[in-house]
Amino acid sequence: MGTSLLPTPFADLDVFAASWSLGTQRERENKRAASSAGELKTMYEVLLPRLDAMLEHLDQYALDKLPADAQRLFYVTLSFAEIAPFVECYNGEPKVRHSFEERRLIAVHGERRGQRGRAQWLMWTSNNSRREFSA
Amino acid sequence: MATAIFDVNKRWSEVYPELGTAPVPTEPCISAEYFALEGEKVFRKVWLYVGRQEEIPNPGDYMVRDLKAWRTSVIFVRGRDGKIRGFHNICSHRGNKLAWDEAGSCRAFSCKFHSWTYDTEGKLIGVPDEEYFHNFDKTDNGLVPVATELWEGFLFAHVDPQPSQSLDDYLGEFGQRLSGFPYGDLTARYAYKTELKCNWKVALDAFSEGYHVNTIHGQSYPDTFTGKNNPMCHLPEVRFYGPHRSCIVYGNPNHKPSPAAAIAYRFGESVTKRSGSQDQLPPEVNPTRSAEFGFDLGVIFPNLVLHILPGMWFTHQFWPLAVDRTLWEGRAYWPPARTPGERFAQEFNNVVLRNAWLEDTATMEATQEALSSGVKTHFNLQDQEILIRHSYKVLEDYVGFYPVNSNT
Repeated sequence: MGTSLLPTPFADLDVFAASWSLGTQRERENKRAASSAGELKTMYEVLLPRLDAMLEHLDQYALDKLPADAQRLFYVTLSFAEIAPFVECYNGEPKVRHSFEERRLIAVHGERRGQRGRAQWLMWTSNNSRREFSA
Repeated sequence: MATAIFDVNKRWSEVYPELGTAPVPTEPCISAEYFALEGEKVFRKVWLYVGRQEEIPNPGDYMVRDLKAWRTSVIFVRGRDGKIRGFHNICSHRGNKLAWDEAGSCRAFSCKFHSWTYDTEGKLIGVPDEEYFHNFDKTDNGLVPVATELWEGFLFAHVDPQPSQSLDDYLGEFGQRLSGFPYGDLTARYAYKTELKCNWKVALDAFSEGYHVNTIHGQSYPDTFTGKNNPMCHLPEVRFYGPHRSCIVYGNPNHKPSPAAAIAYRFGESVTKRSGSQDQLPPEVNPTRSAEFGFDLGVIFPNLVLHILPGMWFTHQFWPLAVDRTLWEGRAYWPPARTPGERFAQEFNNVVLRNAWLEDTATMEATQEALSSGVKTHFNLQDQEILIRHSYKVLEDYVGFYPVNSNT
């Protein structure tokens, strides 16, 4: 346990924890859209070979009981999920080619942190569904 | 392992000659008169899907839907008896809107104008200073109901409180075809929405054929729904059930996942891995359990597209707002993630799916603008676009805009 933001085996990836440990899809989308192709490609190339180990490390915990450093690592993996298709399909361009205006496509779930299963889904639906049902 | 091979070279116009082969008029997408008739003769005459029962799980839970197609706002509320009911969101006193939040939970609805109060079964239970009303009986002044029925946890509503046809009869054999899928277990929802400046059918049509896959999704899903045996995403099955329609979309069993997709495959479910057991599918969907099955695409008339595949399901719904404005809602449903790895896999899949939906919605507004010019009066539909042909045929059967036997 050092001063790293991330669990020890991934301490060398702290730079990503500082900028990409983002808890909601909205934040991850905004960050990706504001990044350059070079930034996305670098992130992809650094994280891809480590991803199996990262997820195996995280899977020793229950989804809703992640320690703080593992929680940050988890959000980095979700950010990788956000950016990987742009590197793999669009050569790193931070925008889908020939697409609808992304800012107008509202991710209704996009403000939530994590998604921990049925109980949380239901709780969220009944307590915080203003965005969900606005027509 | 031996697997059933789909025949992807059928000519659907030969299987369904009654749908014809002529170009289809664009007028229903741009005519204000046609749009008004759709409201009266379709959306006010049939059952419409309005939400999942899980959205209001407990007595007192409610959601409000602004149903422009009915020119009304509707409260759907679960009563103390556990039953879901629907009511026009309008106070019986002087017509004020009753529920202002889009969802919530309550013991009773109280109007913010003069505090008239209604229970969750729509009965008027409180009127301040009641004795000063004239010849007034609370029992005659409950909320105005709409009809509600459930099918497989899908809540449908009908603006006529006493519809001539039950939901089961309306869905008919199509409801049986899609019954038994574990919709209620796959409840982790990722939902998108937007208002599109196009007719609702321009949006629906774009999700009703596989012919666009190579072009629009060439980058997001390069080898998923096409393959050596089916390079143009031909449909292995097309079936019609009265106003409803369905097809199977091909899935390439030799699809090569990208490096990130391969990691997602190792840790969780996927649209493209199709990792769930085919046993989840109803018996009538992909009855041979062919490994070439991508997903089942069903259109519940008029405005719901329901896709099922092993491991997840997703919907598109198109709500007409004006002849050239549509509310689109896209929703993907997964098993609630148990592990961080499963959650990662879902995130990756949803990002790819979202990107594909950004590609799908790219053409719609430009199409509407071009159609509005009137330069092109007809759509040229390919044999594989037969679901669109069926859609316009069924719609016109309800609307009756064109004189019978006209050759439009």
